Amino acid sequence: MNASILEGAMPVSDAAPAALAQAALAQAALAQAARRARRSLVLMVACVLLIGWAVPWFANAYWIKTLTSSLALSVAAAGVALLYGQLGLVSLCQYALLGAGGWVALRAGHGLGWPFELSVLAGGLLSCVVGMLAGLPALRLKGLYLALVTMMMAGGFQVVVNVTGFPDGGAGWLGRVFGSERLMMPRPALALSDAAYFRYVAVWLAAVLALIELHRRTRAGRSWALIRRGEAAAVAAGVNILSYQTWAFGLAGFCAGVAGALLAGGVGQLDGRAFTAGESVMLFALTVVGGVYHWAGALIAGLLLRAVPALLTDFGVNGYLAMIFFGVALLHALITAPSGIAGQLMGVVDAVRQRFAAPKDKDAAP
Amino acid sequence: MEDYLPFVISGLGLGAVYALSGVGLVVLYRSSGVLNFAFGAIGALGAYVAWTLLEADWPQGLAWCAAVLAAMALSLAYGRLLAPRLSHRDPTIRSIATLGFALVVVGFTEWTWGEQPRRLVLPTDGGALEFVLGEVEVRLTHTRALGLALAVLMMGGVGLLLSKTRVGLKMRALANDRDLSALLGIRVLGVDTVAWILSGAFAGVCGLLLANIVRLQATLLTFLVIPAFAAAIIGRLHSLPATVAGGIAIGVLEALAITVPGFAAFRTATPFLIALAMIVLYRAGTRSA
Repeated sequence: MNASILEGAMPVSDAAPAALAQAALAQAALAQAARRARRSLVLMVACVLLIGWAVPWFANAYWIKTLTSSLALSVAAAGVALLYGQLGLVSLCQYALLGAGGWVALRAGHGLGWPFELSVLAGGLLSCVVGMLAGLPALRLKGLYLALVTMMMAGGFQVVVNVTGFPDGGAGWLGRVFGSERLMMPRPALALSDAAYFRYVAVWLAAVLALIELHRRTRAGRSWALIRRGEAAAVAAGVNILSYQTWAFGLAGFCAGVAGALLAGGVGQLDGRAFTAGESVMLFALTVVGGVYHWAGALIAGLLLRAVPALLTDFGVNGYLAMIFFGVALLHALITAPSGIAGQLMGVVDAVRQRFAAPKDKDAAP
Repeated sequence: MEDYLPFVISGLGLGAVYALSGVGLVVLYRSSGVLNFAFGAIGALGAYVAWTLLEADWPQGLAWCAAVLAAMALSLAYGRLLAPRLSHRDPTIRSIATLGFALVVVGFTEWTWGEQPRRLVLPTDGGALEFVLGEVEVRLTHTRALGLALAVLMMGGVGLLLSKTRVGLKMRALANDRDLSALLGIRVLGVDTVAWILSGAFAGVCGLLLANIVRLQATLLTFLVIPAFAAAIIGRLHSLPATVAGGIAIGVLEALAITVPGFAAFRTATPFLIALAMIVLYRAGTRSA
């Protein structure tokens, strides 16, 4: 028995140097991948901060306000992209969660006088919890039923918020003002001007995008990938489906809540009639159009939701033409371009980079 | 009980429309695996066509037929031109794609006809069935009665079509297993065409009724059919009788909710609450869809 093992082991020891070399090579490749991942994370944060720093130099007051809303909605779009891109789950209630987060932030800001950052976190955390609750049926319901359930939730929220409205400094549990002027939510002391608030939102967006990216790189991201591949595979690999899937919903809810609070801070108040089920559908559709596999997709989705309609209004184009365009874009994204506009842009960037890299390789070869 | 009867009767009208829409959704989902989120938008476009033709002094009957035909054509166009490109994807993606189509149709309708809300006046609005039930006098406008009758008739018709005819058999085969049916020599596209046309006809009729009962506005009508999704959920996206019962129950309960103190303002949330409750009850059976 021992002899046979030894005999079997002999060739291995012969081959050992080769195996060792291969392992070292794999290790190097892994280290390189980790380095590349770290670089892309830094690049992402730097890009978003650069946008935040640079745009107020060029844009006028109107555009700064519009782009602030765009960035705030990008935060929510990042959550939608997380659910759809990482787990393949369709959630049609993210705009309702955004409203819930905005409600809590306004209530905390007006009623309790909390500092702005704390109000934002409170809004994010409440939406996180609600998002987790909304995600619980997803453990049982797959695909289409999940989309329907979340759509029903968005419809219910639309009715409720239409009646209750958003807090605006009044008394009582709902915090509504009747008869006198609606109060504005105070902005953070750091960012009182429009330009400063734009930069403030950009910092939040960078932080949330980094949070999601770090999730994707670690255990959570690997578990999500496995769950997406198939529940049986995930269970076999020892992934706790309940906690990781719920965590994804919670994270997406957190994004939506933060976005709602930032939106409330930008405008000062929110309108209960603006949170229809249709908006949730739009948010999902344009996130898919923007691209769910790359952080730039969230930025593009924010621009599509707020900046592009504003631009068309500037040009005197009917807003409903934008709707037609968005519908066509969604069909196009689903049928032929699953990685969205961001994916196509990255394809162009890669092609350009290879074009420039190729001559260098030729020089290096001889 | 007598106090509630008028609400029950008025809820029947809207409930019938929910039931009709629900049947239209389920028929399509059963045979082609697409849950049509553009259902309301297609109906709205049909209603606008009818409105335009009535403004141009066309006879009533012709205008209605044109509306239903327009809805059928639109539904068929999507079903034949765009849906097949996604036929290999899972039902979620195929259904989500109809959201894109809904945006296109709503955008086109609002762009063409403008935003101001209108109401489609039907000749059946004038008269009403008045009868005495117990001690309460009940009034049901002819339009609502017509909606109720249509719901029952069309449900019965589709039920017969599915259970007694050759096309119905093929549609059920497709619902069971699309690939296997194709292997057995069923013309999948042909059966799909029938399903899309049928669903379009339902959308057209519902659009006409809703444009009359509520008002004629594309965005509103598109999302007014969300309660119909609730009805379809009650039917588990499969059973036609359960969908009809669910739709009518939702309409009646929504009307009855007016009488509940404190809840009246929130009563339009009733369909969503019912649907959510049903999903929780059904969860064991819905895992596979």
